[in-house]
Formats: sequence, structure tokens, C-alpha cells
Amino acid sequence: MAARDPRHLFHRSGLRTALALLILWEVIGQLDLVAGGALPAPSAILMRLWIDGADYPRHVLATLYASAAGFVIGNLAGVLAGVIFALSPAMLRLFRGVNIAVFALPPIAIAPILALTLSGMAPRITLAALGVYFVTMSATVIGLSQADSRATDLIRAYGGNRRQQLRLVSFRGALPSILAGLRIAAPNAVLGAILAEFGGGGRWGLGAYLLGSLGRGEPERLWGIGLIATAIAGLSYAGFALLAGRLIGASRAVTMNAALPDAPTEKEHPLLAVALRAGMIALPFALWWMFIWGTGVPALIAKTPLGVVDYLFFSPASASARSRLLEAMGQTLPVTALGMVAGLGFAFLLAISSRLFPRAIRAFMPVALVTQTMPLVALTPLLVLVLGRGMSLTLWVTISVTFFPAFVTLAQGIALVPRSAQDVPRAYGASAWTEMRLVTIPASLPYLFAATRLTVPRALLGVMIAEWLATGKGLGNLLNQSRGFMDYGMIWTVAAVSVLLSVVFYQLVVVAERRVLRRLGMQTAE
Amino acid sequence: MPAPEQNLPDGIALTGVGKTFRGRGRDVEALRDISLSCPAGSFTAIIGPSGCGKSTVMRLASGLEEADAGNIAIAGDMPLAAARAGLTGVAFQDAALLPWRSVRRNVELPLQVLGRRPADHADDVEALIRLVGLAGYENALPGELSGGMRQRVAIARALVTRPRVLFMDEPFGALDQILRRLMNVELQRIWAETGATTLLVTHGIDEAVFLADRVVVMHANPGRIVDVIEVPFARPRDPAIFSHPAFHALCDRIAEVLHGGA
Ligand SMILES: Nc1ncnc2c1ncn2[C@@H]1O[C@H](COP(=O)(O)OP(=O)(O)O)[C@@H](O)[C@H]1O
Ligand SMILES: [Mg+2]
Repeated sequence: MAARDPRHLFHRSGLRTALALLILWEVIGQLDLVAGGALPAPSAILMRLWIDGADYPRHVLATLYASAAGFVIGNLAGVLAGVIFALSPAMLRLFRGVNIAVFALPPIAIAPILALTLSGMAPRITLAALGVYFVTMSATVIGLSQADSRATDLIRAYGGNRRQQLRLVSFRGALPSILAGLRIAAPNAVLGAILAEFGGGGRWGLGAYLLGSLGRGEPERLWGIGLIATAIAGLSYAGFALLAGRLIGASRAVTMNAALPDAPTEKEHPLLAVALRAGMIALPFALWWMFIWGTGVPALIAKTPLGVVDYLFFSPASASARSRLLEAMGQTLPVTALGMVAGLGFAFLLAISSRLFPRAIRAFMPVALVTQTMPLVALTPLLVLVLGRGMSLTLWVTISVTFFPAFVTLAQGIALVPRSAQDVPRAYGASAWTEMRLVTIPASLPYLFAATRLTVPRALLGVMIAEWLATGKGLGNLLNQSRGFMDYGMIWTVAAVSVLLSVVFYQLVVVAERRVLRRLGMQTAE
Repeated sequence: MPAPEQNLPDGIALTGVGKTFRGRGRDVEALRDISLSCPAGSFTAIIGPSGCGKSTVMRLASGLEEADAGNIAIAGDMPLAAARAGLTGVAFQDAALLPWRSVRRNVELPLQVLGRRPADHADDVEALIRLVGLAGYENALPGELSGGMRQRVAIARALVTRPRVLFMDEPFGALDQILRRLMNVELQRIWAETGATTLLVTHGIDEAVFLADRVVVMHANPGRIVDVIEVPFARPRDPAIFSHPAFHALCDRIAEVLHGGA
């Protein structure tokens, strides 16, 4: 999805909003209004940055190295996979399970198992690459399959095959989509690297620095690190935006796409369909197996799918493991659901009211767009500072990571409702509420689903990070504890369960979305 | 034909209407000093080059936009008041259907806005859908219809409130020539039956002459009325009139005004 160029917006209301917020922040900081100084003034943060200056280069370099390597690897894999999927719908269907898992997995959940099985920078690079893969892969598939059909028809009319169509037309046509994907992928890589630093230990890196400073009661330093991390992610986005502008003259802001490109349904043998479906479910587990086999880590540490089943149901400690797991899930899931509903709800209310207060929303939009490039969950330590370690922290982390992307998705979707569609009720004297009820709200339904799809994994990630770093409850905490106790079975179990939960929720949303929208005769929004 | 009079019960009266769109850096004077009065039950066509403010006249008259200067009275009332009273019907250039509503539910939309129960008007809705030739498509979604069919839904929707005043902005723009003629004949019949005061924006001179009592010619920069030409032909008009020499002579005269200087 695309929006107006944020640079363009900044020149006007956006710049004013940003400036106003900055001044407000400075005043609040100077007066120590938030949680006894947990939110320092920008000037104090900058001062601290200057004092800590010597610490930064190694941390920044470590994070940059992992993000850049992950970015390159993730993109190569993403483009390659995208081309294969665009050429072969069967492959796309076969890999659907893997793709959803990569999209939905909470990175923090698999950070510990990567730390167990890989060494050095590899866990960080892997997590950064995973953050990049899905974005680039889906951008490639969508770009290739949306290439101008008249142009591809022309090649077909001269007897060209699928490969020639790709080479002659589709690749050029897909370029804007792929470049747009790279822009979102770049900050994702930074986020992945930082999360791996949270979950995998290690001395250097902004994530490690952030964690190391969390217990030391120096808000200025924490905020300084957060600022640098945000700046790196933002600059990487801006860099690719600039590159895209140079290459193809595209300068539109893009947002994350959470739709898994669908394979065109072709007539196929029912046996093949069943085989593909079975393969789709089996493949993620097969890859898990192959990963362990490939790394050669002993079975004591690395659990295969069977190992996890054994741990949970047949080992001597299985009963205790099950009860701990269930208890943790009982703590994590309600908060996740609550935070998601609240985040989506706020976003929905704000987005539909954009019809009532267009100017206010227009001024807010640039801020929301900027958050798209921010490693929001990586800033959880800052929220710990402000909100403490209780339930409200978990809730606010979740709301903040769901609200912004949901708002951007919804606001952009609602902006697509043609003016003429609203003119009809208005010409009959409809009140603002009637107009919203009859037009804006139904029109935004597909985007509400798209936003839900997008935010399901983020909500779970937000909760788990808050639990891991601060609250001492739930799946995130269980994972962190198990790491301390070297309870390998539990580490693998929590990782697998978290990914599974995320995938199941995602899939539930997709099914509900298809049902509801089909009944309403609507199309899924991307 | 009745003589034009201000503020007749179901008439349209614009007096000295002006509208300027304030844009970034540059203002566009869309309309200057528009005065136009359509007596109750009359049929008026507006014709003019694109960008001369035809749609703006319609948007002002249907209360979607506010005039900067002058006064507008629809059935003796403010545009929005007339709209809320259910006296008006509108069809725009773009069919503007809600893609998630079936044909029937799109046609019912104005009833819903006015707080009437669609169930009480089921027969009307049915008849209108049949009238625009879409019987059997009641439950189809706009996405399944051709451009021409969609515009016919928009016309049915404009008529569903049994309006006393009808605003139509290039409603036949997406129709092919044959269907357009057919709809012209239908519209004349509907107009004669309902007696609604009708204001129609069109690109087709022949369409304007066939349907209207008077043709209003507009020019751009700023949008203004340059001439109002009476159409003397008797009613009901037969489509055969399209090949009549007098018809052509009038069309030529209008074309001259249309393409001539101010
Ligand atoms: N909402 C608007 N904002 C700015 N300018 C507008 C707006 N609506 C119309 N205009 C301008 O007013 C003029 C008349 O437009 P319009 O009434 O749509 O013309 P027409 O329907 O005759 O083609 C055009 O120059 C157009 O650009
Ligand atoms: Mg127009």
C-alpha cells in the first residue's frame, strides 16, 4: 500500500506537529513530570549521548554488521524465493506454511534457540535475515504477478513462455514493488538484530547496550541508545527511499504488507492438492529437523519436533513442564488479546474519525508513518523506565506496537474510499454519523482485517518482550528463565509453541476475513 | 411552457451565485454570478466545455458545497434542507455505488439516509430496477456489472425517493450510443410521469436538445452562463426527431455558442 510522500507532508503540518511535540517533550523532561524523571528532556539526552560518545562506535558497529549481513542474505533469499514462487504456484502453496511461520514468528522466541545452535554473529544475522525475507519475498511475488498484463499478453501472443515474460517484462515491472519492499525490510533487519541481542546475550550491540543499561537507573543513557537505534532504522529506510527515488522516480511512503500472496487456483489433480496441503504443513517441521541436523548440535541441547513432543508428554519432567507452559500461556494470551483489541480499537476509532477531523488526522499521519520505520518493540526498555514492571507495561507495549501500523493501514485504506461514494449520502443530507455508518465503516472493514493480520504477530512479540525484560510472567519470562536453568526442552517448547500460536491466530484471522468479506462481496486489502 | 418564476414550490433558483476554490498558491474561480431559474416541472440542460463549472453548479445545488456568493433555493428552501426533506434526487458522473452493496441495496441507500424503511418501498425499488433494465440483477454486486449497468443503478437510486427535484451530472457518460438513446427516451418518459424539476449536465448537444426545455451554455475561466436557449419542440418527443432538420439547426446554433468566444 502506498501513501503520500512523507517528505512532502513534513514540509507542512507534519513539521509543525513534530516541532510542537519536541517542545512539549523538552518541557515535560525539564520538569520531571513523567515517573520522576523517567522521560528526560531531549537536551539532557543529547548531553548524555555526548558523554557516552566513546561507548557507541563498537555497539553501533556490531548492530550494523549483523543488520547489514542479515539484510543482504534475507534479500537474496527473498528475491530468489519470490521468483520461484511467481514461476511456480505449486511451490508457493507448498511453502505457504513456512512463509506464514516466518512472517508470524515472534523473533524473541527463537533468539535463544539460535543462540544455542549457532555461534558468533550468526544468530543475529539469521534473525535480521528472517525479518527481511518475508517482506522482500512477498514484494517480489506481488510485483512479478502484477506486472502489466497487456505487456505480458503481448509476449504470450508471440509465443513467449513464462520465463521470457518474466525476463522481458515482469522484472522491470516488479522493480518498484521490490524497491518498496527493501525500504521496509531495512529497518526490519535492524529490529531483528537488536532482538537477537536481547535474546541471545553477547557484549556488543545496541540491544546488548540497552539491556546492560536497563538496571542502572540512567534514563538519559537508555533514551540515547533508543534514539540511535531509531536513527539507524530510520536512515536505512530513508536510504532505500532515496535509492528508489533515483532509480525509478518513486517517492511514495510504503507500509508493511501482511498478505501472503495467493497462488492462482488452477485446476489440478485432487491428489496433488492433498499432497501440497500436507507438504505445506509438514515443510516447516522438516526444515526444523534439517536445521538441527545441519548444525550438528547434540540432541541434549537441540530438540527436534519429536524431542519437543517427548519433553512435553513422555519425559519424567513432562507434567511439571506442561503445567508451567499452560500457566505461562494463561498469562500471556489474555494480555495479548486485550492489548491487540485496544490497539486496533484506538486505531480504528482514530482512522474513521479522520472523516470528522481531517486536519487533525493529517497532522498526525506523518508521526504515524515515521513509527513505521522505528524498531518500536526494541524500545521496550524505555517503557519499562516510564511504566515500571507491572501489567500496564505489557499492555502499553502491545498497544503501541499494534496501534501505529494498524492506524496507518486503516487511514490509508479509508483515504481510498472515493469522495463520490460519500457524496451520495451527503447529497441526501446525511449526518456525519450516518455517512460513517453507511460508507466509511463498511469501506474500512477490509483494512481492519488487514491491520489485524499485520498486528497479530507484533502483539505477541510485544507481550513476550515485556515479559522477558520486565514483568516476570508469561511465555517470555518462561523462555528467559529456562535459558538461565539451561532447560533446553522448555526453550524449544516455548519457541515452538509461540510460533505455532502466532501462526494459528494469523490463520484464524485469514479465515474469518475471507468468510466475512466474501459475504459482503468485498476484496481482501493488501 | 410555463414562464420562469422564482421560488415556485418545486423549482430551482440560483441568483448571483459565485464559487471560488482556494487552492495552494492559486485560487480557481469556478463560478461567477450564476443566475438560473428552473420552474417547477421544467427540464433544464447545462452544457459547456470541461472545467467550466457544471459539476460545481450541481454540487452547490445539491448542498454538497457551499456558495461564496449569491443565493440558492431548491423548492423554496436551502439545498440541504430540501435534501433532508427528501425532495431531491442525485446521480453523479461517477456512478458512485458502494461496492459491498447489492444493486437493490445500493438503490435503497437514499431511503436509508432519510430514515425510511426500505421494506416499505420494496415495490418501488423493484419497479425502478426493472425500469432501468436491470431486472434479475437485484442481488448482483457492482463489481459484477458493466460500466453502463452501474450507471443505470445510479439512475434508479436517484429516482428512489420520488424526488420533486432531480440533479443529474452526466449520468449517461459511460453508456454507448445506442444505450444512451434508449436511456434518453426513458428519462423523458420518467420525467413526464413524475413531473420532477430536472437539471441535467451533459456533453451531448443532441441529448440536451432532445430532453430539455432550455439549454444553458456555459464557458470557463471563470465559469459563467453565456446563453440560455429555449427548445421549442413539442412533447413527447419521438427519437425520430434526432434526424429532423429543425433539430439539427438548433444543435448547430448551440454548438456555435458553445465553441464561439465569450
Ligand atoms: N474541490 C475542488 N477544489 C479545487 N478546485 C476545484 C474543485 N472542484 C472543482 N474545481 C475546479 O473548478 C473548476 C470547475 O470544475 P467542475 O465544476 O468540475 O467542471 P466541469 O464539471 O464543468 O468539468 C475546474 O477548474 C476545477 O479544477
Ligand atoms: Mg463535471
